[in-house]
Amino acid sequence: MNRLPAPFGNRIDRSRRIRFTFEGKPFEGYEGDSIASALAASGQWVLSRSFKYHRPRGILSMTGADANVLVQLPSEPNAGAERTPVSEGLRVSAQNVNGSLERDRDAIMDRFGRFLPVGFYYRTFMGPRRDSWLKFWEPIIRRKAGLGVVDTKAPHRHFDKTHLHCDVLVVGAGPAGLNAAIAAAEAGADVVLCDENPEIGGSLSYGRYDPAILSNLSSRLKALPNLRVLTGTVCNGWYEDNWLPLIQGNRLHRTRAREVILATGAIEQPAVFRNNDLPGIMLGVATQRLVRHYGVRPGRSAVVLAANEDGYRTALDLLDAGVAVVELVDPRSVGDAGPLEAELRGKGVAIRKGATIEAAAGTSGNRHLARVRVGGSWIACDLLAVSIGQAPAWQLPCQAGGKVGYDAAAEMMTITLPEGSVHLGGAVAGTDELPDAIGSGQRAAAAALSRLGHAMAVEPPITPKSVGPRYVQPILADPKGRDFVDFDEDLQVKDLQNATKDGYREIELVKRFTTVGMGPSQGRHSALATARVVAEATGRSVAEIGITTARPPVGPETLGVLAGHHEALERRTALHAKHVALNAAMKPIGAWWRPYYYGDASGAEEAVREETLAVREGVGLLDVSTLGKLEIRGPDAGEFLDRLYTMAHANQPIGRVRYCLMLNEMGSVVDDGVAYRMAQDQFYVTATTGAVARVYADMLFRNAEWRLKVDVLNLTGAFSGLNVTGPKARLVLEALESDIDFSRDAFPYLSGREGTVAGVPVRVMRIGFTGELSYELHCPSSQAPHLWDAVMAAGRPHGLRPYGLEASRILRLEKGHILIGQDTDAITTPDELGFGWAVSKKKPFFVGKRSIEMRARLGQTRRLVGLQFPAGARNIPGESCLVLRGGAPVGQITSVGYSPSLGRHIALAYVHVDDQAEGSRVTVKCRDGELVEVPVVAHAFFDPTNARQEI
Amino acid sequence: MAADIATRIYPFMPGGAADGTKLVSGAVVLSDLTDKPRFGLKGGGSAAWLAAQGVKPPAVNRIGDHRGMRILRLGNEDILLLAEGAGETLAEIKTAWQTAPSPKGYSSWREEGWAWMRLSGPRLAEAMSGLCALDLRPQKFGAEDIAQTRVGHIEAVAFRSPAGFDILFDVTASAYFARAVAAVAGHTDQHRGHP
Repeated sequence: MNRLPAPFGNRIDRSRRIRFTFEGKPFEGYEGDSIASALAASGQWVLSRSFKYHRPRGILSMTGADANVLVQLPSEPNAGAERTPVSEGLRVSAQNVNGSLERDRDAIMDRFGRFLPVGFYYRTFMGPRRDSWLKFWEPIIRRKAGLGVVDTKAPHRHFDKTHLHCDVLVVGAGPAGLNAAIAAAEAGADVVLCDENPEIGGSLSYGRYDPAILSNLSSRLKALPNLRVLTGTVCNGWYEDNWLPLIQGNRLHRTRAREVILATGAIEQPAVFRNNDLPGIMLGVATQRLVRHYGVRPGRSAVVLAANEDGYRTALDLLDAGVAVVELVDPRSVGDAGPLEAELRGKGVAIRKGATIEAAAGTSGNRHLARVRVGGSWIACDLLAVSIGQAPAWQLPCQAGGKVGYDAAAEMMTITLPEGSVHLGGAVAGTDELPDAIGSGQRAAAAALSRLGHAMAVEPPITPKSVGPRYVQPILADPKGRDFVDFDEDLQVKDLQNATKDGYREIELVKRFTTVGMGPSQGRHSALATARVVAEATGRSVAEIGITTARPPVGPETLGVLAGHHEALERRTALHAKHVALNAAMKPIGAWWRPYYYGDASGAEEAVREETLAVREGVGLLDVSTLGKLEIRGPDAGEFLDRLYTMAHANQPIGRVRYCLMLNEMGSVVDDGVAYRMAQDQFYVTATTGAVARVYADMLFRNAEWRLKVDVLNLTGAFSGLNVTGPKARLVLEALESDIDFSRDAFPYLSGREGTVAGVPVRVMRIGFTGELSYELHCPSSQAPHLWDAVMAAGRPHGLRPYGLEASRILRLEKGHILIGQDTDAITTPDELGFGWAVSKKKPFFVGKRSIEMRARLGQTRRLVGLQFPAGARNIPGESCLVLRGGAPVGQITSVGYSPSLGRHIALAYVHVDDQAEGSRVTVKCRDGELVEVPVVAHAFFDPTNARQEI
Repeated sequence: MAADIATRIYPFMPGGAADGTKLVSGAVVLSDLTDKPRFGLKGGGSAAWLAAQGVKPPAVNRIGDHRGMRILRLGNEDILLLAEGAGETLAEIKTAWQTAPSPKGYSSWREEGWAWMRLSGPRLAEAMSGLCALDLRPQKFGAEDIAQTRVGHIEAVAFRSPAGFDILFDVTASAYFARAVAAVAGHTDQHRGHP
């Protein structure tokens, strides 16, 4: 066991043991452990196999940012073992192994590296035959490629989204971020502080610092009610206008901040030498995190490669944790011996200056570090801690418009942000030491506060403590290779050098050719070294090379987080409960619930037939509340409709109802309905259920454009509609208490009346879709249930039946009435529908007028007609089946159904314009490929003279 | 008039379209005010007519008051009078409007087209953050502000009331809205314990 006693392990609760398995073997950890820390505590250092060569890999950074530590969970691929907490019974397995992690058959790839040079697949998989890629190579590569496995049967998880607004968002709760957040909150700003770690503190939680610093900041934090801390929360991107997604477990906070302070810290960089990827070689910060966060001893016998003070502190930490530090190797040859060096020497640690790690060697199968070579001689060790430099965490700053540069004098990567609402603080702004980071955070807060209008003392410009140039490791390709620059993609120094020799000199090209930086770590550990290699190879400076573009998201995010939770939108008419009480089969049509028919599913066909015949022979009642209902009011209401619709409305008499047809700018039919003129300055207009939202929006747009004296009101929900239709409809209405005269002469076809029916104020129109005597009663929705009951009661002696959408569709089809969107498509013109009668020839303008005139000059090619199949026809084509002429498609079936009134199938279809005449025979291709000949019907199938609707 | 009122059924009443849909209560409370009196005018002449009655309309997207009613100015010529507990005053204005000659605007039928619901409870702010993208912090969105926005993914008018947030939206979506609020209240619940 590698577990250290308390106080090491500030994240774990030793009273709660957690059992889990890795690769089928049982392991134990503590509450608060990550998978990687619990495995490390038990001596399991190998976590994965590398992408290309299948080399054993383990902990590198303890930040979960690289492919080394990606593992498979039962329902989650590519989980970062360093960040994923252990849970009881969790089954963890390794990814990208052929066989097992311990015995990976593909480990042989490590021997064939020289046959797999970078970019080899661009050349290799081109042949030998033209189809070799598709038939041979791609299937092989697909099998080998990829990391984890998606569990298509994963149980549902609950995700949700919420919104967060603040004056100042501080990303990163390290020393700089904490100080920035506290300063901003103490000045009165509304502050949110987020950090991806489970606790605040950043390096203060694991570094070699006085614990009082963090506890002091922590208590100041707690005293600020206007400072909200979100730990375990990843800020995964920066978007325009300071919109930032904060992901806290399964919750996405869609955050809008007036000012943003990025205190995202720095990323410690690995050293490049042969076998630098062996498990047991890790960054200095990784050893500190293991020790302080998890109480895990990272090794027994360590060599420390230190080119900065952090490395010396790491060595002291290792000693405290009971690790023998065999030697500290400092590649810098000059420099004063600081107090840390003296302390180490005092503890008996050998310090070798001006030397570096030249290579490492592993145990059998390279499963763990065995020794390192320094100055030509091998030193046995099982841990190498590397602290040779860092790069600022550039991802978020770059998304926010920051530019990455390189300060050649200080040998450091720099980020400059344009003056604005995003500020940098701490290590990401280039600070090395704690006091500088704290000061930098406070300055960032002052800048943000000043932009928020707080009176701030002008801070002196940043004057970093004068430090000499940072150490830069000379990167030379090892003759034997395996000196990895990018661990994710198994890229070695020579791979990058060869890319430049092939002419890929620009960093974006190097990236695409070699795939450097394309793995899970997205260049966190490789971008700086790559820039240096390419700069060296092409004789340019690191600043000239730069790094590749950083785009959101910063890290991987689950699709569940992006999706969130959505309740399905549903709309119900005011008569919903009436339908349910009548045992209606309710189905969703778009967002609306509508009755399909009334009765049990077993008798559906019979119910639809009976409902249809009830309307033809007696009287039926249909809920038409989903129809779009618009009121156009104002002195220019008639003029407004004249411009929007094809027919004439300005001259429409009061009390009359007119069909209205709407075109778009290209002359295609987009909507239809009726307009009832209730007063000189008031029209009640219907629109189709599906189109009303767009029609209403278009009306508002046109109203703003034309500046007529008109007000447009959408009454779709406010009013409900009841269609009483059938030969006995008048009898039913006359049986109701009403001040409206429903007689034929007083209330003719295509007219409208206002009044009350059964005490309910109504707008009644003599229109209908069924071809029968028909009244549409529209009333305020809250009174619709009462009106429904009254009509049902009055209709009972006459056999009134409520009917559903299925019967309604058949009734309209029997009359050849079109449904916009079903019988029309994006290019249907009025002429193609035979609707020339509905288009005013006199009006100087209406939307689409010019287009239909131009399209008419191009000549018409198709026409919507009726098709009537012989009674007992065996093969009936479905909707969308093609209409052929001379073997070529000329149209298609748009609606088809069985007419109980006619005892045969009928359809609407587009046919060639020359076939539109009554009696023409057209060929239709059925679903099974059979061609059938069907005669054209040039009029309504039922009641061709339309006499019934006018009785 | 009494008989007229007796015939009205709103979504959450027995026989209403959302009958059977539960209104969430607990840390987040949703209550229905759809049957409470209100009256809106829209279109040319609305503001002038109301002003002539002594109802001084506030600025657009602000709330004023008049004899116990809240006056919501939704647009230049789109004004809504809410009369929770001031039904008589509202009835007077309504009667005056019905008999008045034009120009007087047109009815906006908000009492029929819009549900009126109220969100309250100890976790109100968190629930509103889940339902609405707007910055509704008290210092940003005051007692007299109106937001014409989306709440629970549907178009809505939202404003503060002494008890919480009032929301007006398409009455046909009442059942959906109650479910959407319950779902958000559930998330709020599940997330409890997180700081």
